[in-house]
Amino acid sequence: MVADDYDVIVVGAGGDGPVAAWKLADAGLSVLVLEAGPFYGNEKWPKPSEEPGGAVSSSVADLSGELLDEQFTTREFEMVNKLLFGPADHERGFWFRKFPGDGAILQCAGVGGTTLHYTGCHPRAYPASIDEQGHWPIDYADLLPYYWEIETMCEVTPAPVTAKEELFFRGAAAAGWPLLHDHNVTEPGYRPQPNAIRQPDPKLHVDAGYDGDFTYPEVQGDTLALGNIAGNPHPRGAPYEEKAKRSSNVSFVPAALATGNVSIRPNAFVTDIRTETPLGDTPSVTGVRFRDTWSGRTERVDAEVVILAAGAIETPRLWLNADLPRNEWVGRGLTIHFGDNVMGLWKADDLEERLGKGTVDQHEGQDIAARFDYPGLGMLQTVGTTPGVGAILGFGASASGFTFQNDPTDAPWDTMGRLAGPELKRLLAGYPRMLQILVVSDDRPHRRNGVTVTPGLADEHGPIPVVNYEPSEGDQKRRDELATIAADILREAGASHVHRSDSPPTALHVHSTMRMGEVLDEACEAHDVDRLFVADHSALSNGVGGANPTNTGQALAARTADKILERYF
Amino acid sequence: MYDEQLRRLNRWIGTVLRGAASALELLADLVSGTEDVELHTVVTFRAIVDAVVPETPELDPELGPAHVPGGLAIGLEDFVVTYVDDGFQFGLPYLGPRGNIPLADPIAQILDIAALTLLDQGDATGELDDDRPVSLLAPGEASPRAVRTAAGPFSKLSRRDRLRAIGLLDELELELSQFEGELFEFDGGLVGQLVVGFTEMIYYSEWQGYDEFTQPPSERVHPNDPAAVQSWRQTGYPGFSDGYAALRGYLGDDDGPLGAGDVWTTIDDDQESPVRIVREPGSFRENDYETSDYEEPFPE
Ligand SMILES: Cc1cc2nc3c(=O)[nH]c(=O)nc-3n(C[C@H](O)[C@H](O)[C@H](O)COP(=O)(O)OP(=O)(O)OC[C@H]3O[C@@H](n4cnc5c(N)ncnc54)[C@H](O)[C@@H]3O)c2cc1C
Repeated sequence: MVADDYDVIVVGAGGDGPVAAWKLADAGLSVLVLEAGPFYGNEKWPKPSEEPGGAVSSSVADLSGELLDEQFTTREFEMVNKLLFGPADHERGFWFRKFPGDGAILQCAGVGGTTLHYTGCHPRAYPASIDEQGHWPIDYADLLPYYWEIETMCEVTPAPVTAKEELFFRGAAAAGWPLLHDHNVTEPGYRPQPNAIRQPDPKLHVDAGYDGDFTYPEVQGDTLALGNIAGNPHPRGAPYEEKAKRSSNVSFVPAALATGNVSIRPNAFVTDIRTETPLGDTPSVTGVRFRDTWSGRTERVDAEVVILAAGAIETPRLWLNADLPRNEWVGRGLTIHFGDNVMGLWKADDLEERLGKGTVDQHEGQDIAARFDYPGLGMLQTVGTTPGVGAILGFGASASGFTFQNDPTDAPWDTMGRLAGPELKRLLAGYPRMLQILVVSDDRPHRRNGVTVTPGLADEHGPIPVVNYEPSEGDQKRRDELATIAADILREAGASHVHRSDSPPTALHVHSTMRMGEVLDEACEAHDVDRLFVADHSALSNGVGGANPTNTGQALAARTADKILERYF
Repeated sequence: MYDEQLRRLNRWIGTVLRGAASALELLADLVSGTEDVELHTVVTFRAIVDAVVPETPELDPELGPAHVPGGLAIGLEDFVVTYVDDGFQFGLPYLGPRGNIPLADPIAQILDIAALTLLDQGDATGELDDDRPVSLLAPGEASPRAVRTAAGPFSKLSRRDRLRAIGLLDELELELSQFEGELFEFDGGLVGQLVVGFTEMIYYSEWQGYDEFTQPPSERVHPNDPAAVQSWRQTGYPGFSDGYAALRGYLGDDDGPLGAGDVWTTIDDDQESPVRIVREPGSFRENDYETSDYEEPFPE
């Protein structure tokens, strides 16, 4: 059961919430984590999508690798539907959010949050994005000790090379870019991804002639089976904590539960933040109200400190729906790494020459294991996908219509736009010989972009988030420049056909809607509500330069936990 | 007709949002402009699938007969209807099963509006053709006369024009006024996303292999056999695997701590310090960093 009061309540068990929960519980505080989605791989919820199950999990012994293997089937369509932001009950649809154009927001519900989808890429922010762009009230140096802590917990190491990474690296080198060895990146160049995925078993080297099973304990670490977006339970047969991908449910949740001071309550959607104003000025938080997503019943819990970690869309939504002061930046300044896809298709002979085989085989290896950094512009990364996810991320949407409506004669790509019909089928027939590059640009926080709520437009948890996003001219230019570099790298790698999606704004990385420096002070406590902290990606002051954000979000959450201890306990 | 449809659509959405118990009645009212509600939706979703993942005899000479069948050959349109009807919810218990909002009918209506807009703007490349919807049904499934009456303009467009019509919706934030002057922009882009993006994703995913996807997850079975999924035969995707012995090594050169050990291959040998793929990963360097010379490539 959930008790009546705790030292700290954490709202959301996503990428960052469990980090704060672990640190505070490790310091001896009692912590309740309320999570809107289900808890996969936990014996208290043997059928988490079909039955309400238990009430709360407080022991690391509840975690079960076997159940995770069963529930994370690796089948892409099924898993995307399971993980996307919605209630545990499989008979009910996604929670609705409004987003402009045909873009989308990809976020997950469940313990682990969107790191259930994430591909484990764990680079740091570009130092210049924190020290030179003028958005952050703290220095990059303040984050360094926390990066070390997070990288150790998540076991961040250089990602392995399979055929698709070799192809990309050949192209990047031929295009004249240098290899970077650094954690703290200040110059453009390419490097392996710093991934929070255990390195593969050395047995899996192509020269080693391995033909056994890919299950634990025969194989330990990553099995190079792709599938991180679908949840990645590999190696199958491994205990929960020995799964290769260190999503927050695998890296931080076991550590948090092992303190004995943490209770995690899934299927609990927080709908209100409660405050009192004893001195008649700044309100002080006293607890929250949440709704059980199976029964619909609501409950109240009290705490000394409340940490919002519901992600960059739901944290501001919750604030706006609660009766809290309106700061002009609450919900505003959204950055999404305004992205794009540039895809290369090769002829078998050209691949043979470069890779010693006529296929790229993007379904082998880690999803994202090679990257190109360009501080000031953003980054590029190779993406291997299963065909369905590849179709929707790479081909199903475009801001410039269908390919047959565009004439890219003078452009660096051969085709541009959304693909459907014969063009789609022809291109996807080349699936074994193609590789997509994800363009991730360093978009900047603008006040017009963000989350609002409208009273008439509500679901069972109150008015839904209405999201606006309009890139600036600078954002567009940064993205165009990166797309051009991507096309060049693909050509240098020998691609015979290059396709650009010109994606509509699609949010895989969502941040900076409760910015430190605007809504939050330099400890990530709300300026306008005492004892209310934010520890998720909404607290980031900008998009960290376009680098994958989770390392920085988690580092900041770890720092915030230390500040909470300093201020209140 | 156009205004009338918009007006009814508007009322339907307004009612859904308000959670009024009469929403289902209104929905019936909305779609009553066509004689056979079901048939209109069925025909429209077949027209969608037929445009997005069509049968492509033209690919046979180039790629082989496996590349000919499209979504209609595997009943994709049925599942897309189920999926959009079950896919989103506002948590209103009296609106459809489990509070999901049935979206297939309104989407079919919106696509007709888009088709009319395309024609209005003079952007359609061909004429409406009454025989197109008829050809989307198997002989004997419904009488051609009934199909012609039930079918809306969307399904009478050519495949390309159907896609053009869907494309119009991306730009169209249908601004529908609710009661009391509130404005709710029905997001036209969502329609495009559902009927193009999701249709493509479902088609190219493992979906076809299930006996029945709508079963509870713990009861779903999937053969994971590349031969069992038409799109896998078309993409060469081998099905899901527990792993691959595909490791080539780690990247490194002599200038830093990344990569060590035996060289597997060299990827860039015209440099002083060749970049290679080697056996051991090495590690990233905890370097000093200097940012004072940072310049914005594109200042805001
Ligand atoms: C396909 C994909 C791949 C990605 N790959 C990477 C990658 O390789 N590297 C990287 O750095 N980032 C990656 N990301 C992004 C990364 O996953 C997110 O940036 C990160 O998870 C955000 O952490 P968060 O804590 O801010 O929010 P989330 O992880 O989204 O967590 C928020 C949690 O709060 C819960 N919640 C929401 N509202 C409530 C409420 N009212 N009450 C209770 N609980 C609530 C949610 O269910 C969720 O579990 C990827 C994202 C996607 C979609």
